[in-house]
Amino acid sequence: MSLQIDWLGQVPYGRALELQKQAVEDRCAGRCGDRLFLLEHPPVVTFGRSGKPENLRVPESELQARGIELHHVARGGDVTFHAPGQLVGYAIVDLEARGKPDVVAWLRQLESCLFDALAELGVAGAAEPGKTGVYVAGAEPLRKLASIGVGVRRWVTFHGFALNVTLDPASFDVIVPCGLEDVSMTSVAKELGIAATPTLLMRSREAVATAFARALP
Amino acid sequence: MPVPVLLPELGESVLEATIAKWLVKEGDTVERDQPLVEVTTDKVDAEIPAPEAGVVVGLLVAEGETVPVGTEIATIDADAVATTSAAPAASATAAPAAPSGSAAARPSATPVAERLAADRGVDLGQVQGSGVSGRITRADVENAGSGAPAAQPPPPAPPPPQHIKAPTAAPAPAPHLAGAKERFGYYAIQEGDNVIPMSPLRKIVAEHMVYSKHTSPHVGTVAEVDMGGIYALRGKNKNAFRQAQGFSLTYLPFLVHATVRALREFPILNASVIEDAIVEKRDIHIGIAVETEKGLVVPVVRNADRLSLAGLAAEVEDLSSRARNKKLTADDLQGGTFTVSNPGRQGNLYGFAIINQPQVGILRMGEMVKRPVIRDVDGADAIVVRPMMHVALSYDHRAVDGSPANGFLFRVRQLLEEADFDV
Repeated sequence: MSLQIDWLGQVPYGRALELQKQAVEDRCAGRCGDRLFLLEHPPVVTFGRSGKPENLRVPESELQARGIELHHVARGGDVTFHAPGQLVGYAIVDLEARGKPDVVAWLRQLESCLFDALAELGVAGAAEPGKTGVYVAGAEPLRKLASIGVGVRRWVTFHGFALNVTLDPASFDVIVPCGLEDVSMTSVAKELGIAATPTLLMRSREAVATAFARALP
Repeated sequence: MPVPVLLPELGESVLEATIAKWLVKEGDTVERDQPLVEVTTDKVDAEIPAPEAGVVVGLLVAEGETVPVGTEIATIDADAVATTSAAPAASATAAPAAPSGSAAARPSATPVAERLAADRGVDLGQVQGSGVSGRITRADVENAGSGAPAAQPPPPAPPPPQHIKAPTAAPAPAPHLAGAKERFGYYAIQEGDNVIPMSPLRKIVAEHMVYSKHTSPHVGTVAEVDMGGIYALRGKNKNAFRQAQGFSLTYLPFLVHATVRALREFPILNASVIEDAIVEKRDIHIGIAVETEKGLVVPVVRNADRLSLAGLAAEVEDLSSRARNKKLTADDLQGGTFTVSNPGRQGNLYGFAIINQPQVGILRMGEMVKRPVIRDVDGADAIVVRPMMHVALSYDHRAVDGSPANGFLFRVRQLLEEADFDV
């Protein structure tokens, strides 16, 4: 068992979907091992299977005007937003081959890897019972750092997480993130109180890659 | 024989799931393991595969309905695989059977089987189909590929696709570090060296410093300030201040107060470079660089221009004591528009601080020392002893030219020397 981690740079949402589809197929057929794709998306709003239209705060025409794509996708969870400055991770992992065919355990595993990565960056992350995702530890009201939503096909996972690194949390204003009205979005840069630098993105990438490589050897 | 499709266990704590989307309809012929339905639970969307090949004879749960694990959600007639050819299109919704006439010319195969055959170089004409109407299924191709009697010698195992590299547990080195060893020389750690792993805070500070020096061309200017007026003012008020406020009055609030007043007159120093624009900010939030045992932090006095000297003193006291006790919050560290750095008693003559991005200026206090200086005393030059301090400004030459920067620093000095503060 091994996890191959690849940084793909900025990838349009539709292209990343195709890439995942192919990788899941390859994984199911045993043509490759587990993969973790790290990437960024151009601005895009996506609805998961439990997405409610009212959680889009602006008309679709407004999204178009702002150059934001819209996609409905086969993952759990409600609505979310991706844009550069957010580190997206798509994990193609065979849970059965790793001896733990349990989707909830997988969600907790994703959270735990992100906690490790965030600790490396100097931010304490925490889980919130009943609200999958990664939040700032001890923050009241909740401040969310990362969203999580996954798909599973024959125990091979796809989709994964989106960690706000330097993305301005204000750009989430087009949606009600994950359908949670009482949660505000934040970013690693904001929590550290430092400027949104390209090097912070690079370091976050390394921290996330290291955490996953350790957790899924 | 009807085979029930049950909602499987998705995880220990998952008791139920919602039918999100049926991927097949009643009457469809499905292969074993073909996805039948997407079900969803908190944050997870899972595809449920067909347990057997056959014809879907019933979808028992509507989309949007939530059912417990173990519920029968669909039924597949497994016998139908062998017998459908006898009764094609039994119902109006049944999938059209494969055109049997063309089967001899070009064998019909499922899309998955076709792709697999292409991948493995299997000739479909040589494969006996076991699916509906003799349709070739994936299993047929797999058997053919693994050396089933009818097929030619099995082709060698397909080479792994090019994009799959040798598995590595550790990620590749970061692009900005790759080659660093070659370019800058490399120090091999020796016995007796003390290796101190960087703390997260240390790394952030390091990164920030490098980023700032990369981003802003720093220019430095120093003013020599006669602190005599403030020295006297503080001396006169410090006991009363301590009694009233409960903490000592330091020189830092005076510096901040003078800085804020000068920033109002020179707004270009209270700015950020944002893409192709210089943004002069409406609000003045002053970062105070504080040394703690864990390292350097810069809490922010918000709207410093609205505070009196005593208000500034209280704010500075609160922030620095919370910095020392590690009680600062993320909000305390955000949004500074200009920074004042006070290195304390051992600050030496003067020094140039690195700009705290995305600001364009930082003022650093030097040590205050009594020096002989020449002053006009009763119309004649005289050597007098005054408490002197060097104050150094670093500014970002992208946004600020020498003239406003010099004017700003000169104004700070004037305000400090006039010592017109309301203690």
